[in-house]
Amino acid sequence: MTKKTAFWIFLIGTISSAAVFLWATYDMHRQVVTLAHVDKLSAQVVAGKKVFEKHNCNDCHTILGFGAYYAPDLTRVVQRIGEDGIRFRVKNPEKAFADSWRKMPQQNLTDAEITDLLAFFTWVGEVNNNDWPPQDSKKRISRGEQMMVASVGVSPGAAVFQSKGCMNCHSLHGTGGTFGPALDQEGRRKTVEEIEHYVLDPKGVNPKAMMPPQKDNLSQRELEEVARFLATLK
Amino acid sequence: MEFRSQKIAYWYFTAALPLFVLQIVMGLYLAYSYTFTVPQSVVNVFPFATARAMHTNLLVLWMLLGFMGGTYYIIPEETKSEIFSEKLAYLQLIALLAVGVIALVGFFFGWTKGRPLLEIPPPLNYIVVVGALIFLFNVGMTMIKANRWTATQGTLLGGLVFLAIMYLFGVPFYKNEVLDWYYWWWVIHLWVEGAWELITASIFAFVLMKLTGVEREVVEKWLYVEIGLFLFTGLAGTGHHYYWIGAPRYWLWIGGVFSALEPLPIVLMLIDTMRHVKERKNPIVNRLTWTYAVGCAVMHMIGAGVWGFLHTLPQINYYTHGSQVTVSHGHLAFFGAYALLNLMTFYFAIPRMKGIAEYDDTRGKYGFWIMTCAMMMMGLTFGVAGVLQSYVERVLGLGFMTAQSYMRLWMGATFFLGLVFLSGVLTTVTDLLTIRPKVQAQQ
Repeated sequence: MTKKTAFWIFLIGTISSAAVFLWATYDMHRQVVTLAHVDKLSAQVVAGKKVFEKHNCNDCHTILGFGAYYAPDLTRVVQRIGEDGIRFRVKNPEKAFADSWRKMPQQNLTDAEITDLLAFFTWVGEVNNNDWPPQDSKKRISRGEQMMVASVGVSPGAAVFQSKGCMNCHSLHGTGGTFGPALDQEGRRKTVEEIEHYVLDPKGVNPKAMMPPQKDNLSQRELEEVARFLATLK
Repeated sequence: MEFRSQKIAYWYFTAALPLFVLQIVMGLYLAYSYTFTVPQSVVNVFPFATARAMHTNLLVLWMLLGFMGGTYYIIPEETKSEIFSEKLAYLQLIALLAVGVIALVGFFFGWTKGRPLLEIPPPLNYIVVVGALIFLFNVGMTMIKANRWTATQGTLLGGLVFLAIMYLFGVPFYKNEVLDWYYWWWVIHLWVEGAWELITASIFAFVLMKLTGVEREVVEKWLYVEIGLFLFTGLAGTGHHYYWIGAPRYWLWIGGVFSALEPLPIVLMLIDTMRHVKERKNPIVNRLTWTYAVGCAVMHMIGAGVWGFLHTLPQINYYTHGSQVTVSHGHLAFFGAYALLNLMTFYFAIPRMKGIAEYDDTRGKYGFWIMTCAMMMMGLTFGVAGVLQSYVERVLGLGFMTAQSYMRLWMGATFFLGLVFLSGVLTTVTDLLTIRPKVQAQQ
């Protein structure tokens, strides 16, 4: 091979790859309108993005998987912990993470800023991003549940409890989140029916409850299984 | 040193080294925060986010200073002429350092653009752009005046122009988060997989040529093939960042295919280095630069090539995206490809600028091996933490903190390895700043 041949390899390689890349960039701009539902990109969402950047949230949290990995991903945070859950954590990190060995700084956000932030998170959560992250995906988790039931021999309710993110807030035998109460002895306090009722509408039972209602998160079968499982914990 | 203006490089190098040390100190604070509980009062004043912004921006700053210094060293020898304006070169160094210091202090007071790795806010951004333009003008004018073109300096100039243009895509505010990330990668990925690789390849070719005495024709022929492959795989390979951000589905294919090919040019570079070392014509003086050259090629291969390859397939990346696996890859790749490249250049150029023909390399060797071994181990501990995280959080679907509790041990190990790494860095930096001629042993 001569130096001239080598030069042509360089030129053709670069130009062909750049052509693919630029064409896909052009097409991306066309498709992003529907994939990221640009029609819902309101002024409030943009204001929320500015709040998010002003306080450098992205250097601890990831969003759509990018940023720092010190704190949870925020892509589907609204679906996961609900608007009240986010509001409480942002306003009172010292209380919300009192028992956690990882801390979040007090950012002193106003209520209006938090509302903007929530609009931003809600918008991001609805972006069509090939069903990522897997732990918040409805499609994948049901397969994960089946796997757990089959391979580890746990009850279907326990699988639902683990896979639906209940343990982000609640703990069992000391494992899990510290945000909600530990549920080790939930069966002593509530019956199957009471648990089902509570999970669907926590505020209806206890107006001070922080837990987001799980109507959209659980199917009827999943609700029954998880309630039956929790009622056995005595 | 053949030309007086090559001396400029010395000031760039000595400015870069303390920043490298500070980068590692910040990294230790980050690893500490992962492992131990930092009190709320400290977190409120100096959060993880601020330390991370400093850690990553220091990385970019010291590496760019190294590249620029390297360029100022190489260009006179390649063009056989002095740098166009020494004053501009010093002015640009002062401007960059001033921006760096203001930015770092600014982060501490919450003055940030809030986009990770590109945190420098707008007014400072413009100074960076002006600094880059001065640099390109100075280097370009030197080449034009000399009118003696070689593939090495062409690649170098190409890489530097590419680097400067891509930076502009990170300056605006994007309303749409999806497009924000889309263009964010034009800076981050196209820097490290495109522009920086071009700069690396040309600096590497230059040093190899000087060290081995292999003919320019042979070295430059392979330089073309390497950078051709780098750009072929790297440009469209950006797609592996677009899997889960709301971009069209075909990016899974484009990203998967092109990034699977990304290790190729790195393998080629490794083979090429080994061959040149084997077929050298010059006698071996200063073994340490050899150690660095081969070490750089090998670690570049492991960190960027193998580690990158392992998790860019969409089926795997679905579970590892945004986990400590990325961190493992990032650390090994930056260290292997760019930190070692810069240190190799420093070890090549600093003794020449000081008129030392043969230097005592005992401390330097310790520095190299301590850093390299500690970083390799850190790559593994980050990697174990990342695999645990991917499995517990993504596959089993348990909560974030549950996964973190399993990872805590490994992040703790990383912290202690970081201390070892720091000792290696301090050894190397002291050695570079106080390098001394070799005293012949008394027979």
